[in-house]
Amino acid sequence: MLVKDVMKSPVLTVGPETTLEDAYRFLLEKGIRHLPVVEGERLVGIITDRDIRLATSHLNPQGPCPTCAPVAEVMTRGVVTAHPLDPVEEAARLMRERKIGCLPVLEDGRLVGIVTGIDLLDALLRLTGVTEPSGRLEVRLPDRPGELARLTGFLAGRGVNIHSLLSYPEEEEAVRAVVRVKTMETHLLAEALRREGFQVLWPPKKPW
Amino acid sequence: MVIYREEYRLYNFGPHHPFSPVRLEMLTSLLQALGVWKAPLSPPEATREEVLTVHSERLVKRVEAASRGELFPDLEHYGLGTGDTPVFPGMDRAARILVGGTLEGARRILAGEKRVLQLGGGLHHAQYDRASGFCVYNDLSVAIRHLTGAGLRVAYLDMDVHHGDGVQWIHYEEGEVLTLSLHESGRYLFPGTGHVHEIGRGAGLGKKLNLPLEPFTEDESYLEVFEALVPWALQAFRPDVLVVQAGADAHFLDPLADLLLTTRAYERLFRLILEYAEAYAGGRVLFTLGGGYSLDGTVRVWALLYHIFHGLPLPERLPEGWLRAWEARLGKPLTPTLHDPEGAYPEIPRREEIAKRNRLTLERLTELLAPHLLH
Repeated sequence: MLVKDVMKSPVLTVGPETTLEDAYRFLLEKGIRHLPVVEGERLVGIITDRDIRLATSHLNPQGPCPTCAPVAEVMTRGVVTAHPLDPVEEAARLMRERKIGCLPVLEDGRLVGIVTGIDLLDALLRLTGVTEPSGRLEVRLPDRPGELARLTGFLAGRGVNIHSLLSYPEEEEAVRAVVRVKTMETHLLAEALRREGFQVLWPPKKPW
Repeated sequence: MVIYREEYRLYNFGPHHPFSPVRLEMLTSLLQALGVWKAPLSPPEATREEVLTVHSERLVKRVEAASRGELFPDLEHYGLGTGDTPVFPGMDRAARILVGGTLEGARRILAGEKRVLQLGGGLHHAQYDRASGFCVYNDLSVAIRHLTGAGLRVAYLDMDVHHGDGVQWIHYEEGEVLTLSLHESGRYLFPGTGHVHEIGRGAGLGKKLNLPLEPFTEDESYLEVFEALVPWALQAFRPDVLVVQAGADAHFLDPLADLLLTTRAYERLFRLILEYAEAYAGGRVLFTLGGGYSLDGTVRVWALLYHIFHGLPLPERLPEGWLRAWEARLGKPLTPTLHDPEGAYPEIPRREEIAKRNRLTLERLTELLAPHLLH
């Protein structure tokens, strides 16, 4: 999954000369939190609802005047950006490390989209496959080559379609695989997997 | 009034599929052996046009073609030809016969009948554009749309252990349809939806209720939340008719899911539903069957439903001859009584915690819905 698959476009922007009040009203009207600031085609900064609220708070009486100060006075310069072909996990890591809420997406220097934390949550939902009717299996696999292939091969052999497959390392040389499968019969699948020697964590074995 | 016809059993995905027509054969033969079976009303099959009131032309075309053995290359995209919902010759007609039964139930209600028991159908996973989870056409939604088309307000109650997603999505923006599904949490179980926060959209906002329950929920906790939620919602919504999907797969013997209801809970639930229908829906109620994949458990749950529906006294033991014949055919022992024996499964150590979480889910649901439902 790439940034271009989750980004929003076209992007709503403001110019650097827009007043803080107008920019804030625009954010409220559109129900958004981030506004890239552009001069012609060029991205020159970014301003958020939080930037404006902090700058104009009554706790900050020396701050800029909302009706006359331009966005350029408060905006962040040197914006961190993404490319449409970046993998989403790279965008997520960048946002996490820099502790920022969005990434304007540039292609050949042109602003083509924007990714926010919310878009990444949508990406997570899609990656986990919960948007499709499916059941869920959790299997603990030994951390060595071929184990995941054994699992998916087994599912393929039973004609079960996999909606999504996540795996993450656990301690003690094991990998947890979370598989969303398009079937009502996850219990029967789990039994069959156990017979094949897989350690199935969910659904559990019923003692009766 | 009971609706049934032998051809319901044409809806058959093959000998190893859990949604087995043997369930109906076993149920009707049990009711006959008990001497309570009365000739049911035989419904006409639904027409193509009737199916199209809730499904897309694209889906219906593909089902019809598959019935003739012609397989569109994009069948999977429509949820067909999968492990859960394989195609079989004649499946279009077989599915329309089931739809016809539930639709006939709706017609009878409109003609003045108070209580209808459709001994089939309940295919609640089928969606507008997609077959899903053993369900080709959504008989419930066709019937519901027929009822709302005649100006009725419909409350749909889904007792199946799986979320009633198809019915919910088809009527998601309709204000005159209340859907209420109690099911095992979709965190693990198919279809994965049915969260508290799915509450409808547009005119349907606040008219879709979901109570996802913890795996291993038992009788007491289920009944506690059911009795708190269902009358509350029905009283607020004031339906003209209650449509009930009486899936039996929340029974503890069910091989596909993890709720632990016994026949004692089902007896109480069926009696309560009839009471609620009297109190909040003018006495009008249409039951269908649904999921239920333990033959032993499912057949006894539905036999209970049949008896309670007719106000018959409950037999204690099942007829010996019937038991012997079916045990021989299935090659395994069956529970010899209508009710489950006491202590049929081992004690669940997390019982209190499970009950507490279910209570919390109920609280979240009522808090979320109250502003929409109570006005």
